[in-house]
Amino acid sequence: MDYFAAFAISGSGMATEKLRLDVTAVNIANANSSRGQDGALFRPLRVVSSMRRDIRFETALRAYGVALGGVQVDEIRPTDAPPRALYEPGHPDADARGYVTLPGVNPVAEMVNLIVATRSYQANVMAMNAAKFMAQRALEIGGTR
Amino acid sequence: MSIAEIGNVAYLPPVSAQAFEARAQAGAPADFSSWLTAEVDKVNGQLLAADKELRELALGGTQNLHQVMIALEEAKLSLQLMVQIRNRALEAYQDILRMQI
Repeated sequence: MDYFAAFAISGSGMATEKLRLDVTAVNIANANSSRGQDGALFRPLRVVSSMRRDIRFETALRAYGVALGGVQVDEIRPTDAPPRALYEPGHPDADARGYVTLPGVNPVAEMVNLIVATRSYQANVMAMNAAKFMAQRALEIGGTR
Repeated sequence: MSIAEIGNVAYLPPVSAQAFEARAQAGAPADFSSWLTAEVDKVNGQLLAADKELRELALGGTQNLHQVMIALEEAKLSLQLMVQIRNRALEAYQDILRMQI
């Protein structure tokens, strides 16, 4: 059924927004990590996504000469946000002047990302529900019960 | 109702045997029952897929909750479509059964 293509597209959107939420959680969790993997300082991550060509949807739209599809995650890329310097002389990772280098995680931006991801997920669910509603209304055509 | 109105039925395009055979050879199922069997098999496949997703969820192997829900919705819609087809077929059958001869 062609409604399942709409389900698949919304599903890919949900998966991407879920990944955005996970990545934002990683950023917030590591906001105060003075060490990262391999000795390098943790850098805030961002999800980069692009449009995916969906075979199922393409067959439905081939008659109109349009190629559309869901969304796919291209990469999770660290940003170039400058690290913060915190004055804490007793810290094990403090440098000679007593400053600890912390990741450049912006808590306000991360909270905004959190809300955007949640709302986008919600929008994908709404789109899927609309497709389901349409399919159910179509099944009611000519029905007596 | 006059007889002339019934005569309008004759204006419907006649079903040509050649066109029917051509469609049958093009891969479309020839009769309704084989089509229905194939559709029921498809619905059963959807239900089994939803069942598998649910088992995965219970075992903790699911990556995303929405995949389970989408599989469940697909199975539900397929089943609803099958039930509606059954309703229509049964209605037609009962209509014919009630026909006065």
